[in-house]
Amino acid sequence: MEPVLREGDWIVVSLGRRPRVGEVVLVRDPRDAEHLMLKRVAEVTDGVCKVLGDRPEESTDSRTFGPVRLADVLGRALFRYGPVGRIGWIW
Amino acid sequence: MFLTRLLKPTVTASAHCDLPCGVYDPEQARIEAESCYKIIEKYNGSNDEQFKIRAIAIKEERAELAKHHIDVLWSDYFKPEHVQKYPEITELCWKAAKQCSKVKGSLDLGEARTLLEMIDKIADVWTKAGGPQATRVAKAAAARA
Repeated sequence: MEPVLREGDWIVVSLGRRPRVGEVVLVRDPRDAEHLMLKRVAEVTDGVCKVLGDRPEESTDSRTFGPVRLADVLGRALFRYGPVGRIGWIW
Repeated sequence: MFLTRLLKPTVTASAHCDLPCGVYDPEQARIEAESCYKIIEKYNGSNDEQFKIRAIAIKEERAELAKHHIDVLWSDYFKPEHVQKYPEITELCWKAAKQCSKVKGSLDLGEARTLLEMIDKIADVWTKAGGPQATRVAKAAAARA
């Protein structure tokens, strides 16, 4: 998800709310519910959404694990509050 | 310090990549294929029946491992974007996996050599696609020296 998100970023996630296309969301990995991921919403249809990484060549996303149930989309990543140099909104 | 501890997130999410380790390198398949090659050489140079039986069993196991590593590269490492850029990769992997089966059932050194060449072609694409930087952990400078 670089350059929007980098390893070690501290993120505020607003929970709930239906995801919209283009947003960065916190989702449960459909292959392993314990594993949380941040991906970008590519498509929302009935009950499911397709999520993709920003760097398709490096990313494992809905192309591999299929659509994610809306119930597994936990919230939208809103803001980076750390590290200091990277503070800002997430688009 | 206290503030940092207070603000530090408690939940971790990954923003990229694979749930598995994400290390992919055709070298893994090549080493197994080299084993097949060397085993066939040793088989041909031996008169020890017991040794020959063992050699065949081990070669078959190594050929199967080579096939597994090629499958992993193809299904896990190479993404649709890679295939678009390097369309030859699909056929290279497919043929190399088939060649593994050939080597598994053969004692022909030429077949093992062909497999090595095929894996090298896959490695060329992997290198062009940025595989070494994307998937491997760099060695420490001291260890390289």
